[in-house]
Amino acid sequence: MIPLLLIFVLMFVLKNPVLLPFANPDQSTSISLGFILVFAYLLGSHLKRLSLPLITGFILAGILCGPDVLKFITPSDVQDLDLLDGLALSLIALTAGGEMNIQRLKGRFKTVSSIVFFQTVVVLLGFVLLGFFGRSFVSFLEEGTLFQVLAFSLLLGTLSTPTSPATTIAIITETKASGKYTDLVLGSAVVKDFFVILIFAFSLSISKSVTMSSHEFDLSFLLQILEEVGGSVFLGLLIGGGIILYLKYIKRDVTVFILSVAFFSYQISHNYGYHPLLICLVAGFLAENFSAQGKLLIAAIEKSSVPIYVVFFALSGASLNLGALRQTWHLALICVVWRGVLKFAGTFFGARITKEEAGVQKWAWTGFISQAGVALGMAIVVEQNFPEWGGEFMALVLAIIAINQIIGPIFLQRLLFKVKEAGKKQ
Amino acid sequence: MRAIYAFGLLILIAFLGARFITKRKAFSPVNYFFSSGLIYIFLGLSLGRSGFNILSPSVLTGLTPLISLGLGWVGFLFGFQLEAKYLRRFPRKYKSLSFVQFLFVFLLCGLIFSLVLKQIYPSERTFLLYGMGLAFGLLLSINSPTLLNMASSVIPEKGNYYYLARFLVSVSGFWGIVGLALLSCFWHYPIFESKIFLRGSLLLLFSSGFPLLIGYLFHFLTKKKVSGEQMLVYFLGFVFFVSGTSFYFNLLPLYMSVVMGITYSNLTRIHEKLYPLLLSTEKPLYIIFLILIGALWEVYFDYRLALLVILMILLRFLGYLLPMPLFKVILDFPLRLPTRFGFSFLSSGGIGLAFAVSLKLAFPLPLTDVFLSAALSGILITEFISPWGVRISIFKLDEEERK
Repeated sequence: MIPLLLIFVLMFVLKNPVLLPFANPDQSTSISLGFILVFAYLLGSHLKRLSLPLITGFILAGILCGPDVLKFITPSDVQDLDLLDGLALSLIALTAGGEMNIQRLKGRFKTVSSIVFFQTVVVLLGFVLLGFFGRSFVSFLEEGTLFQVLAFSLLLGTLSTPTSPATTIAIITETKASGKYTDLVLGSAVVKDFFVILIFAFSLSISKSVTMSSHEFDLSFLLQILEEVGGSVFLGLLIGGGIILYLKYIKRDVTVFILSVAFFSYQISHNYGYHPLLICLVAGFLAENFSAQGKLLIAAIEKSSVPIYVVFFALSGASLNLGALRQTWHLALICVVWRGVLKFAGTFFGARITKEEAGVQKWAWTGFISQAGVALGMAIVVEQNFPEWGGEFMALVLAIIAINQIIGPIFLQRLLFKVKEAGKKQ
Repeated sequence: MRAIYAFGLLILIAFLGARFITKRKAFSPVNYFFSSGLIYIFLGLSLGRSGFNILSPSVLTGLTPLISLGLGWVGFLFGFQLEAKYLRRFPRKYKSLSFVQFLFVFLLCGLIFSLVLKQIYPSERTFLLYGMGLAFGLLLSINSPTLLNMASSVIPEKGNYYYLARFLVSVSGFWGIVGLALLSCFWHYPIFESKIFLRGSLLLLFSSGFPLLIGYLFHFLTKKKVSGEQMLVYFLGFVFFVSGTSFYFNLLPLYMSVVMGITYSNLTRIHEKLYPLLLSTEKPLYIIFLILIGALWEVYFDYRLALLVILMILLRFLGYLLPMPLFKVILDFPLRLPTRFGFSFLSSGGIGLAFAVSLKLAFPLPLTDVFLSAALSGILITEFISPWGVRISIFKLDEEERK
């Protein structure tokens, strides 16, 4: 506890306004990064003693030191660290893709598809129902037309569907889990992330058409999304091929190479509108399944996985919008609970149809609570496309993500311990 | 499309490196240039604004933490080697020689550079030019142990000259970095208008005290049983924190990290636990650092720049070759110190590069752009000829001594 307090006090003194005349606030990125690395890790380690996941500590540290609370990490720091955050996300996605071993997943493919299908349908329908029956509790929906309610709830349902692959892989890595539940949760999270982008394109096009006076179905966005997804998959295949060749013939400076792959993916997705997560998922998947050197890739990333997770999750904590949570916490809480119920129902039906064991039917849903990344990006698109209620929608989604990102890792960790898969990885 | 070109270029360089370079074990200038990673500076150059502009100034701003990490890491590693127990093993005369050598090179080069700079930049403020002259002097007084580490594998029987040179190059950086720390505290940017001594002293106190405290905290956290991943997080976190603090207060990241490295090295008993970590992170971090240095480098040609580069190379030779016999007499040194022993000190390696970048970042002035360009050019040229220097000095002297 003493080091945690000491580092906290040191940062408090260094960032004290009294010292501001001697400081160069434009150069605060590295000090913030260094502080958060140590502070978040120490906090995570303390929480681990209370049987909570490390990444919950990282996220809480980010929230505590972020722009909404102590302001040790300023909004400009978060912005400046966007590149490192993107690098971390790419590396995490490479690991997640690399964990998707076809041989291992072959027997589980039916269950994964069934869970993904039922979760998606149940969550979408459930949120549409919630929108219609609960509209009187939401001021801006109460005044809206039925079509607007449909658009709002359909999009909210779409954004509630995905599970964060980054959080999932981080918990799996931390608990060193391996087995049926691990494969099901990770497999479903990755597959869902892929499909939810397409579903979002449909939902957005439908929402736009029902809210427009002409009721025309706008295909342009759908086509744009298809192009982005197709382009990302193609790039992922290209990069995956490059990784295979590199690991086979060169093998030199693998860490530097992997970092440059992550940087390249981030740059290209940033500049041309592709999805870094999809690119790296596909690349990692290809390297793992179509070359004998896939293990080398994962080993190179896992060697430095902890600092990557600290940076990524602490920054995601610092980016969580507590203002939005304060505004809409009651509504957000209802949505979180409802999402949990729907996740349970979707997983239950999905597992039951494929005759999975009772444990999967009853408990696997707890692995699907975390939510971030892709949902956040989609919320921004919704805000831009529906200026009348996009702001309220964005605030609600941010609040839901904030809650799910805190409780999601805890649920997943508990699941992996409960089913005794934690610590099973060789 | 530029990103794709850069990606291709990286693979190509790695491929060439893997295929042709690592198979050559000879201790040659070309081999040293590749195997020490200096070639990555050119990769950075091609990715920076002078090339494909992938690592554009805005991207480099986003990558500032990596530059900070690179500087902090080089400094920490350097400081970590300065363990009192290790230094005590060397005779006092070795330490005296190290200091006298530093003083001679610093004063000679600092003086000449100050005079030359005053002549070629007459419109610049005098105290800035003198500051830069002294910085050149300090830079030239620094040597890198990397070259001799590499040479050790090709020297069949290492003699007194090898160990003496090894000691001198390991310690020389310390004097230079302390000198630069003094310079950056009292010539602090933005320039103090009043109470220069008081403010400079306070900054020096903070520059030394803060990393000392962090070094102790690092030791405190790692003195009990610590896993590899914990070590990595603490190491990266503290290096970022110290280096970031120096950036935040416009102090010298290299000096502060060296102090942290010295503190930790002299407190901890688990050197053997940190060394594998440092070694495993050494190459990737160093390569990334070199790439970023290359990207920071703005290439241009100017007769004044050319003059500074030529002067750097010339003074590097003169500063180390000329005084050797004199040192023998002054210090009554137990070993013969022929002029050619000075050829062992041509390389300033990673620590020299970090020094130049550190100065540029602590003093964001147009004049320090000149310093960085001259320093990088000068260092790269002397690095290229330094294996030859070691060959005609240490190799021969040890062989003669054996006979």
